[in-house]
Amino acid sequence: MMNNMSRRQVLAALAGGAAVMATTAGCGFKSAGASSSSPDGDVSYWTQVDPTNTVQQAAISAFNKTAKGQVTLSEIASTGYLSKIQTAMGSSAMPGLFFNWGGGSLSEYVKAGKLVELDASLKSHFLASPLQAGIVDGKFVGLPCRGTQPVFLYYNKSLFAQAGVQPPATYDDLLNLVQVFKKRGVIPFAIAGTSANSWTELMWIEYLVDRLAGPDLFKSIAGGDWSGWKDPSILQAAQMVEELVAAGAFGTTFGSVNYGAGGTSTLFATGRAAMQLMGSWDYATLQGISADFTANDLGYVAFPAIGGGKGDPKNVSGNPTNYLTMTTAAARTTATDFLQTVFSDSYVLGLVKMGEVPVTTNTKSLLSQSSDPAYSNFLYDLVADAPSFTQSWDQALGSTLATPMLTEIQKLFNGQDSPAQFVSNVLAIQS
Amino acid sequence: MRTRRPYNQRPNYFSGVATLVWLLIIGVPLYALISAALQTQSSYAQEGPLSLPTHLTFSNVTSVIQSGFVGYIGNTILVSAASVALVLAMCVPISYAVVRGTGWITRGVFRIFLLGLAIPAQAVIIPLFLIINQLGLYDTLWGVILPTAAFSMPVSVLVISGGMREISGELYEAMALDGASPRKVLMDMVVPLSRSSIATAGVFAALQAWNGFLFPLIMTQSDSTKLTTLGLYNFVSTYSDDVPALLAAVLMSAVPILVVYLFARRALVAGLMGAGGK
Amino acid sequence: MTSLTGDRPSHRAGAGPEIRRAAPGKGRPGVGWAVPGLLFFGLFALLPMAGVVYLSLTSWNGITAPQFTGWHNWSRFLGDHQMVQSTLVTGVLLVGNIAVQAPISILLGVWSAGRQRNRAVLSAIFFLPLLLSTAATAVMWRQLLDPNFGLPSKMSWLFLGDQNMLGTQAGAIVCLIAVTSWQFIPFHTLLYQGAARNVPATLYQAAELDGAGRVRQFWSITLPQLRNTVVTSTTFMVVGGLTAFDVVLLLTNGGPGTDTAILPFQMYQTAFVTYDYGYASAVATFLLLLATGASLLLVRLTGYHKMNSTLEGL
Repeated sequence: MMNNMSRRQVLAALAGGAAVMATTAGCGFKSAGASSSSPDGDVSYWTQVDPTNTVQQAAISAFNKTAKGQVTLSEIASTGYLSKIQTAMGSSAMPGLFFNWGGGSLSEYVKAGKLVELDASLKSHFLASPLQAGIVDGKFVGLPCRGTQPVFLYYNKSLFAQAGVQPPATYDDLLNLVQVFKKRGVIPFAIAGTSANSWTELMWIEYLVDRLAGPDLFKSIAGGDWSGWKDPSILQAAQMVEELVAAGAFGTTFGSVNYGAGGTSTLFATGRAAMQLMGSWDYATLQGISADFTANDLGYVAFPAIGGGKGDPKNVSGNPTNYLTMTTAAARTTATDFLQTVFSDSYVLGLVKMGEVPVTTNTKSLLSQSSDPAYSNFLYDLVADAPSFTQSWDQALGSTLATPMLTEIQKLFNGQDSPAQFVSNVLAIQS
Repeated sequence: MRTRRPYNQRPNYFSGVATLVWLLIIGVPLYALISAALQTQSSYAQEGPLSLPTHLTFSNVTSVIQSGFVGYIGNTILVSAASVALVLAMCVPISYAVVRGTGWITRGVFRIFLLGLAIPAQAVIIPLFLIINQLGLYDTLWGVILPTAAFSMPVSVLVISGGMREISGELYEAMALDGASPRKVLMDMVVPLSRSSIATAGVFAALQAWNGFLFPLIMTQSDSTKLTTLGLYNFVSTYSDDVPALLAAVLMSAVPILVVYLFARRALVAGLMGAGGK
Repeated sequence: MTSLTGDRPSHRAGAGPEIRRAAPGKGRPGVGWAVPGLLFFGLFALLPMAGVVYLSLTSWNGITAPQFTGWHNWSRFLGDHQMVQSTLVTGVLLVGNIAVQAPISILLGVWSAGRQRNRAVLSAIFFLPLLLSTAATAVMWRQLLDPNFGLPSKMSWLFLGDQNMLGTQAGAIVCLIAVTSWQFIPFHTLLYQGAARNVPATLYQAAELDGAGRVRQFWSITLPQLRNTVVTSTTFMVVGGLTAFDVVLLLTNGGPGTDTAILPFQMYQTAFVTYDYGYASAVATFLLLLATGASLLLVRLTGYHKMNSTLEGL
C-alpha cells in the first residue's frame, strides 16, 4: 500500500505541476521536531499566536546566534491550540517546548511521562504564588514565561462621573450600580454569553465562590474531590448569578454577544456598557478599539467584597501566568539552556514594554519602563498583595472536565438551568 | 374565440416582488461585508455595518495581506488543483471500468462508491488522522490533499459514470471492431464524449477542496501549511480586536474564485448546472 | 443527448457493410482500471471506517495506548441524553434546511431559466454567496448577527424585536438554517436552472393551447419534469447536512448550552476538545450508520443502483 501511495503522489505531482511537489515535499520534511536525538540538537517551541510572539522570537534569535542547537518557534492560533498540543503529544510531531496554562491541562502529560521535570534551582528567579500552577502532581514542569493575568473589574470613568457614582467596594454597591446604569440606558456589565465564550461567565462564578467560601473549596475540587460542588456556597453563587441576570446586570442580549472587538470589548470601549469583569489582556484589545478610551476613561478595581463571605477580598483569580514546559522530545541541553532566557532582563523588559507584568523577581524594577506604568503597577500590586491566586477553573481542571462545566455555566446564565439544576448537573459530570 | 396575450408577455408581479426580496437578502449582507471591510475600526463601532463608509480605508486589506493571508490563498489553490488532478486521474478510469467492465466485480466497485457517498468525513477523522500521521504527512499539504480527494471520489464516480453511460453501445462496438485497446477507446472516444460530466466532477472536487475545513483543521498546524478556511477560523481569535480586518480577510478569501467567475463564468456555471442533470 | 452527439470525435463511422464480430469482452476495460482508485479510496475512506469501529471499543486519550473496553462506550452511548438531543437537532436542521432551501431554489431556478436580460443580470448577483467558503460565510454572519453591532441592531423590525438570536434554541436553529440556506441556495438554484432549461418548450406550447395558466403549468409540467433534479439536489442537501459542522463550530459552537450540538459537532468536541477518542469513535460509528442508512435509502429512491437516468443532455 505504501508503494501505491507514493506512486499516486508522484502521478499527482506530475499532473499538478512541479511546483506542488516542491512546496509540499518541502513541508513534509521539516515538520517534525521529535527526530532530534542528540542533546544539543534542535528544539521546536510551540506557542499561541499573540502580540508577544515578537518578544519570544527576539529571545530565540538572540539564543540561536550563540547556541549549537537551534530553537524554532511555531505560532499556533489560540482557538484549538490546546487540542493541537494534545494530538501532537501522542504523535511524532511532539514539540520540545510548549507554552501552556499549567495546572490540570498538564496532568495527563505528567501521568503519561511525556514531560521533563525542571531543575528546582530555577524557582529562585520567580515570585512564589505563580509558580504553584507549574507544579503538577508534585512535579515542577512549568516555568513561568509570561505576564500575570489576573481578572478584575474594568469600569468607564466618564460614565461613572456622569452618574455621580463610585466603583463598587462591596457586592451591595455592585447591585446598586446595576440599577443606576440600567436607568441610564447603559448595560451595567458587558459579558459574552455565546457558547464559545462562556469562560467570561465562569469569571463571575470564580469570584463569587472565592468571596463566599474562600479559595480552599475550589482547591479541593481541582485536587479531585468533585463532591465539593455540593458546598452550599456554590448554590448561593449560582443564585446570585440568577439574580444578577434577572436584574438586567448583563443586558438582555448577552446570549448572542461574543468576546472581544465587535462584541464585549467594543460595547465597553464605546460607552454602551459601564463595566466588565475581565482579564488583564483585554487592555490591549480596548486600546486597539480606542486608544483615546484607554488613555482617558479606563478605570480598574479589584472584585468587591461580599458581606459575610469567608474569602479575603484581596484574593484574585485568573491566569497566574503562562508556562513553558519541556517534553521528552526536546534536545535536552539546548532546551535547558534556552530556559535560562525566560527570566533574563531583556526578555522581561520586552514583555513589560508590551504591557505585560511578568512574575520574575526582576520585574518590579523594570515596570517604570512600561507604556502605562500606572496600570502595570496596579496589576503587580494586585497580584503581589493577594493572599491567594486561584487559577482559572477551566485551566485548573483541564478541558475534559472544564468543557461540560462551561456548558452548564452557560445554561445557568441563559436561564436554561436553575441554580439547583446547575449544581446537580455539574455534580453529574464526574460521577 | 378569445385571443390571449402570449404567456411570456403577461407581467408577473409575484416574481417581481419575490426577486426583489431575494435581491435584498443576498445584497444587504454582502454590502455590509464590503462596507465593513473598508471602514476603520472606530467608525464600524460607531456607525455599524450598514452605514455608508465615510472614511474609506484599505488599511484592513493591507494588514490582512501582511499577516500572510496571500500565502494561505496560494496553499488553497495548490490543494484544490492537486486534489482535482487526483480525483480525475482516478475517477475517470474507475468510471470507465464501471460502465464498460463486465462481471460482478465492477458492479461491486460501483456499489462501494455509492455507499461511500454518505460517509461523513467527521466520522472517520480520528483513524484518518492516525493514518496521515503514520505516513509522515501530518502538517503537510498532502495530509489535506489526499483525504480531500478521497472524499470527493464517490460523487465524482457517480457523475462521470453517469455521463459515460450516455455514450451509446454502438460507438463502443465500432471502436472494438477496429481492434482499439481499452486505453485507446478511453482516450479517443470516452473522455471527449463525457467531457462535460468530467468538468462537472472537476468543479465539484475543486469546490470541496476550496470549502474544506475539517481536514486542514486536524491535519495541519503551522503557518506554512495554512489554508484560507483555517486562516479565517484563526483570525476569529487573532483579530478578536479588529472586526473590519476580519471581514476584509473574509472578502479576500473570495477573490480567487471571483477571478475564475469573472473569466470563466460560463464554464463554472455550466459545470455546476451539470451536477443537477442526473 | 443533442449536445453530446455534437461533441462526437471523428471516429471511422462504421466499418463498412462487412460484418465483423468483436470477441466478447475484447476492448472492454478490466477491473484493473479501478484498482488504483479503489486502493486509494480504501486507504483514506474505508480503512478509517474499520478503524473507527475498532476505536469505539476502546478507551483512549490520544497519548497512551488505547485500552480495549468492549461495549463500555456503547452502553454509555445508549444512556446518553445528550446523544438523543444531538440526533434530534441533526434531524431538525436537516429537515429545516431542505424545507427552506428546496422550494426557494426551485422557484429561483425556474425563474432564472428564463432568457430575459434582467434575469441574467440578477442571476449573476444571486450567484455571489457561492464565492464564499462555508467558513467565510460563517465568520461573516457571526459578526453580522451581533445584537449590538450587527444587522439586528439596525433592522430590529426584521428580527421581531428579539436581537438575542443566538441566545435561544429556536433562534440559534433559525440562524443556522438561514446562514446555510443563504450560502447554498445559489448552488441548488443552478441545478434547477440547468434542468428547467431542458424542459421541452413544446410541452408549454401545448399547455398554452389548452389554456393552462402559469401556476398550472408550473405544477403539471415544470415540477414533474424536474423530478430527477429534486432527487439530486435533496441528496446533496442530506449529505451536506450530515457532514456540516463548520457552520455550527463557527456560529454557535453548539450553544446555547448544547442546544445546537449536532452529531458531527458533538463528535468533534468529544474527540478534539475533551480528548475522549474512544467515546467519540462510538459517536462517529453511529453517525456512520445513520449516513449509510440515508445513503441506502437515497440509492433506493433514486434508482442510482440501476442507473436508469433520464438525462436529457447537458
